[in-house]
Amino acid sequence: MPEIFSEGFFPKINLQEGTNWATDFVRDVIIPRLPEAVAGHFPMELGTVLVMLAFAGIFVAVVPLLPLVLVLAERKVAARFQNRTGPMRVGPWGTLQTLADGIKLIFKEDYIPPQGDKLLFLLAPYIIFACSFAVFAAIPFGDGIPIPSDFNIGIFYIMAISSVIVMGVIMAGWSSNSKWSLLGSLRSAAQIVSYEIPLGLSILTVVMLVESLGMRDIVNSQSGGIFTWLIFRTPFTFIAFFIFFISSIAEVNRTPFDLPEAESEIVAGFHTEYSGMRFALFFIAEYANMFAVSAIGVTLFLGGWQGVLPGYDFLGGFPGFVIKTLGLVFMMMWLRWTLPRLRVDQLMNLCWKYFIPISFFNILGTGIWGLIFEKDDVWSIGISCAIIYVGLIGAYTVAGRNLVRKPEPQPS
Amino acid sequence: METTQQTESKIIELKPFTDEMVVNMGPQHPSTHGVLRLELRLDGEVVREAIPHIGYLHRCFEKHSENLSYPQIIPFTDRMDYVAAMNQNWGFCLAVEKLMAADESKDFAIPERAEYLRVLICELNRIASHLLSFGTYGMDIGAFTPFLYAFRDRERLLLLFEKICGARLTYNYIRIGGVSEIIPMEPGSIDEQNYLDEIESFLDYFEPKIDEYNDLLTSNSIFSERTMGVAVMSAEMALSYGATGPNIRGSGVDWDLRRDEPYSIYDRFDFDVPVAKDIPELGAVVGDCWSRYKVRMDEMKESVRIVRQILAEGLPDGPVMADLKAVRPPKGEIYFRSEAPRGELGFYIVSDGTPKPVRLKGRSPCFSALSALQELSRGLMVADIIAIIGSIDIVMGEVDR
Amino acid sequence: MDKYIRNIYKGVYTVLVGMRVTIRQFFEPNVTHQYPYQHDFEKKQNVREIPKGYRGQLYNRIEDCIGCKKCELICPVDCITITGDKLPKGEQLWDSMNVVHLKDGREVIGIIEGDDKKIMSEDSMTITNITTRLGSQEVIDRLEASGDESRTETFSTEEVSRVVTRNPVVFYLDQFDIDMSLCMYCGLCTEVCPTQCLVMKDSLEGIEYSSFDRTDLIFNFDKQEMYDKDEAENTEAAD
Repeated sequence: MPEIFSEGFFPKINLQEGTNWATDFVRDVIIPRLPEAVAGHFPMELGTVLVMLAFAGIFVAVVPLLPLVLVLAERKVAARFQNRTGPMRVGPWGTLQTLADGIKLIFKEDYIPPQGDKLLFLLAPYIIFACSFAVFAAIPFGDGIPIPSDFNIGIFYIMAISSVIVMGVIMAGWSSNSKWSLLGSLRSAAQIVSYEIPLGLSILTVVMLVESLGMRDIVNSQSGGIFTWLIFRTPFTFIAFFIFFISSIAEVNRTPFDLPEAESEIVAGFHTEYSGMRFALFFIAEYANMFAVSAIGVTLFLGGWQGVLPGYDFLGGFPGFVIKTLGLVFMMMWLRWTLPRLRVDQLMNLCWKYFIPISFFNILGTGIWGLIFEKDDVWSIGISCAIIYVGLIGAYTVAGRNLVRKPEPQPS
Repeated sequence: METTQQTESKIIELKPFTDEMVVNMGPQHPSTHGVLRLELRLDGEVVREAIPHIGYLHRCFEKHSENLSYPQIIPFTDRMDYVAAMNQNWGFCLAVEKLMAADESKDFAIPERAEYLRVLICELNRIASHLLSFGTYGMDIGAFTPFLYAFRDRERLLLLFEKICGARLTYNYIRIGGVSEIIPMEPGSIDEQNYLDEIESFLDYFEPKIDEYNDLLTSNSIFSERTMGVAVMSAEMALSYGATGPNIRGSGVDWDLRRDEPYSIYDRFDFDVPVAKDIPELGAVVGDCWSRYKVRMDEMKESVRIVRQILAEGLPDGPVMADLKAVRPPKGEIYFRSEAPRGELGFYIVSDGTPKPVRLKGRSPCFSALSALQELSRGLMVADIIAIIGSIDIVMGEVDR
Repeated sequence: MDKYIRNIYKGVYTVLVGMRVTIRQFFEPNVTHQYPYQHDFEKKQNVREIPKGYRGQLYNRIEDCIGCKKCELICPVDCITITGDKLPKGEQLWDSMNVVHLKDGREVIGIIEGDDKKIMSEDSMTITNITTRLGSQEVIDRLEASGDESRTETFSTEEVSRVVTRNPVVFYLDQFDIDMSLCMYCGLCTEVCPTQCLVMKDSLEGIEYSSFDRTDLIFNFDKQEMYDKDEAENTEAAD
């Protein structure tokens, strides 16, 4: 037997014996089916790696279909908001439109600006594409569904990977040798770096409550129905959810934070000079990202695959997870087709003057909350829901008294 | 010895050298409202100077007109401000009619019915023009949906124009001495009643929509952040640059030709002239982008009011065309100005008594307003340039002519 | 601090108000048509979508045209080209004739019995000497089958949409070309036309006539068979 198959050649992947689903898969599914002569010598580590690669392959094959659906959904939703029908030509009700667009983009000329930096120009879309797909590795889609890498620092990994995207954006903007692209990429760099902070801080409130960075642990801690979802666990996570949601819109460069690709200002931002399949990669990455951040939001705040009621599977499991995620995606679309775009300095104002102080306040509050109440205390959930309810009602009445007055100057 | 030199040469002196970046915005750019080219000198995102270059849509309207008879010029005025073509027709016809009235021997009067039709159609056209301005301004700021809402409502207006003159954009409806009879509409007939009912149903539909648009865009906090206090054009500046129409009213100057120098039958109608005011609790300053935009939104309501008054009175009986044998103004010259949706539209005509003008000059409101851009934009950001262009509401067809 | 909270409040509130506006539209019906596929947009709620009198493609009924060249003169962009020849003095191609336009689109060319100015107020009109060269093929076929020498037909006035009187033709129209790629659809030519033979099509076919070749947009309206001189002389001889 060559050395490569010997035990101990591969480093140990397992962090905790028996918890890694891939090892379980090899032990319970593959080895019993092997002939006895081989089974005894089957290298567990190699098998684990192969199984992980196989599942990663499934993801790489399936996840690109998501943007395909989401682009169409975006166009149809936008059309509904604007009393239109959206694409109607290709396929029944235009359902194959994105496929047709993709085919068109593949056959288009792949133009590389001759004065640009060729290597960076070619590399940039792949970095963005790879990073936005790597995020999917840590998203727990469902209880029974194995995720390729179920490690105990899931959310940390996601934060790390998703901030690499900005590298790709800067590379794309710089290497295009276009002033509009450069402006767009610099805007993007400033924006993504700034919004990482409120994003991370609002994630921190969740981590403080759950006392784990693992995505699976976070979901498991929300198993007691809708009121144990982390969004309702404390009043501070309620605020943190909205900060997380808005910051994640900024992270994926969508209106009202779509400055890096602001069409009416800087033409198309960092991907102005891209065409053909490279442009399609940017496009796919954008929509994959959008789905990913929504899925993270669902995992962290909206119970992941846990249902609305304890013991019942309503809005639970894999379909429930997808429905909740698509709900957040719809919210993103709704915001996009309603709001205008912020200016660069206002974007920074919003982040540094509003989101970050509030996030710190949230962390402080969550810490105090954790000191006062025991973990998973029924009372804490009740009090938290009561505070959120009273807060919303109070806000509504204050709005009725003070702010409903329309900002309408009377014509002279 | 060598090694020390090498290490010394590797010391990099950090001396950040920044330079101005010159960027061409346009003529092919998504939000320059046509073919405007702006030469931007940028310091990062901050605009040091924005120099507008015009002339990409120049079609020799003035020179061309010298070789055309007066009725033939009217279709070309359509192509000046193609968003508010009715008002351009009217401005030109008013000038020619004024010139012809100087001739004592020819006695003609514009029929009452034609005057009413002109006011009716031109006020509807003003609504259409301001709707487009509102929609494109929303799109410039980044909200795409108001644009399509504006187009949805404008489409209904275009259908109304289509029914009365047979064209959607370049109407050629208002003629010298009256209005076109290309689609006959008998006074008091069922056609007329249907048409007026249709206008009424549009107004009933449209009036609540203005409030809806105010909810959607005008009062939106992102929109007001982007536009309030940006590019403040003081009253003196507006006057010195010759800005007119909603732009000067947005700067707080209470001036509207329809009220202050009433032409046609505008003195019979009751309407207000919206003028911008400081709104401290919102942050709006007189003369900023938001004020100019808001004046347009309020003007739509006033136009609705005027149209409603006409509908209440009903169109008078009679012909729609004055009894003119030929359009042959006497020798002389005239400058006549009227209030188009974008401001004061003037025509200067020199006639030598032949059917063709010797010289024709159009005074375009957009051109004057655009000239203020250079001073307005200094020290602002790239995104603000877009906001200014949208707020002064230029149509390049009229700037270049 | 009050302003800070107020700002947050205002931001959230106005965003929610805007979202309310858009979500209401989410459930409204479409306002768009699937244009090239969905042609029923022509008729919507009994309202004609392409209105009567729409300024579409120019069309000349050359049978009514008297070649006055007024349209050529008024056209601001010179898209109409008319050339014609006058006959020697005293000669004429046709007698005075009436072109009767029926409501179903047929044309019958002949001489109306009685005063053609007052004929529309009567119940029926009789047309004699119907020409076999032009007009409705169906009527011509019927006449030729009957072998009626006088070539007479009687129509009820309700069938007739309008009657145009043609003066004796003393000229040929060799060329009547309209270059629709130049036309600016101002409609001035249709207004000056004395016989209302130059019209703009207010139907779908007046809008959809795009072409890949610019020369395809030059439309010839002249009908040389109208001026077949030999036959014209024969007709005169027969009369």
